[in-house]
Amino acid sequence: MMNPMDLTNKKILVIGASSETGETIVGQLLNLGATVVMIDSGNEKLLSISNHLNHAQLKYYCFNIYNNQDIEKEIKQVSISFGAFDGLVFCAGKGGVRPLQLTKNNFVHDMMNANLYTFIEIVRCLTKKGSFNNGGSIVAISSVSSIKGLKSKISYSASKAALDAAVRGMAAELCDKKIRVNSILKGWVTSDMKLDFIQDNMELNKNEDFAKQILGVIEPIEIANTACFLLSDATKTITGISMLHDGGYSI
Amino acid sequence: MQPFITFEGKVILVTGASVGIGQQTAILLSQLGAKIILLATNEDKLLNTLSLLEGNDHNYFCYNLADIDNIENKIKEIVKQCGKIDGFVNCVGIRSRRPISLLSPKEIKNVMDVNFGSFIELIRCITKKGHFNEGLSIVGVSSIASHVGGVSVTAYAASKAAVEAAVRCLSKELASKNIRLNTVVPAQINTPEYANLLQMNGGVDTVLNRQYLGLGEATDVANAIAFLLSPAAKFITGISMPVDGGYLSS
Repeated sequence: MMNPMDLTNKKILVIGASSETGETIVGQLLNLGATVVMIDSGNEKLLSISNHLNHAQLKYYCFNIYNNQDIEKEIKQVSISFGAFDGLVFCAGKGGVRPLQLTKNNFVHDMMNANLYTFIEIVRCLTKKGSFNNGGSIVAISSVSSIKGLKSKISYSASKAALDAAVRGMAAELCDKKIRVNSILKGWVTSDMKLDFIQDNMELNKNEDFAKQILGVIEPIEIANTACFLLSDATKTITGISMLHDGGYSI
Repeated sequence: MQPFITFEGKVILVTGASVGIGQQTAILLSQLGAKIILLATNEDKLLNTLSLLEGNDHNYFCYNLADIDNIENKIKEIVKQCGKIDGFVNCVGIRSRRPISLLSPKEIKNVMDVNFGSFIELIRCITKKGHFNEGLSIVGVSSIASHVGGVSVTAYAASKAAVEAAVRCLSKELASKNIRLNTVVPAQINTPEYANLLQMNGGVDTVLNRQYLGLGEATDVANAIAFLLSPAAKFITGISMPVDGGYLSS
């Protein structure tokens, strides 16, 4: 049977694979036939995922993805070790809530570094000659916070909006190489609920926020499916979009 | 007849007031009665803007907003000298143009610091107790680049999108203090910056094909800023208002 989301013969790089959503994306990419290289900052977690998924087409590589000074060198090494890629999923980054008076510049900078600067630097280095195949697809995991305002999420929302704007700029620029760039505006995912900053702010968020997601909380596999869809040739004329996957949150 | 908008007796801080939209905004607000505080890096240009303002009760401060860590002290000094702030218009910005292959982390950080980081820090410091009057209104100048992908403007577009997203969050957070925040989203505007851009592109501007009201003037943006800043817009907060000659809807 024909599968429009078939990823056989595609080599996909997943940055931030250690998160639950990242790991789920890796698993689904393998299910769809892709060869996957996982990258994240912690070797132990990557090894654990590798052992758990136990798949011949799964490789991993570890470096501190948030150290911008090293990204060029490390991505070069990744290209030498694994060859040119057909896809990139960026699901790294960080969250965090702080009211304005505690939103000092170092906090803003850390958030921007994790959610924006790292992404741009990885794409800059990966789209150099020989590292990324023409016709490839790049998917960044963004958030519905990019388009909806919430108290105390100034830096996070701004970093995700900046990410989406960068995606549009990259899409316009990289179309000459037939490289597509898109993002997913995810709503609340079950794995988000386990994060410390969400737990700490449950009272702050639950009434106002979770109720808005009228289809309920999203499972990581659903985000993985959307990422695979955007990576596949089924979407070869879709670029520069920020695709809502938010359970109706933004209605 | 009562004027639609008046800023009589109001203290309004305008950053990036040396040229273009910032300068025109400062001029218009002064014509509407405001006491203007100009803030920018170049003293000669500030003095030029100062000479164009209506009335005499205005001040200027030379400051490079890339120096984010000292903004707090600068705001304290401004409030001490000029009084509590009623309005803040942020027109400062650098328009970086670099293809992705040349967009180093240092360049991105520089653009984000000036266009976004300083804006947040200014708001943080202005909204401290004793620094603002009841009914404070803040307007940031964004860009259509925030909404539409353009070649070689990745960092600039990201910084403007960040500004708009932050304004959405802050309008919610600061509503309890009766502070409103909005952005204006200009398209192509007839400024010295635009003249440079046009020169770089050999006199061709394809954006205007979609901007069906033609090239905008700095006054058009200044008018929108003045409206959002004024009590006439007291029920408007958290929005990004296009001033784009139809661009975003075409």
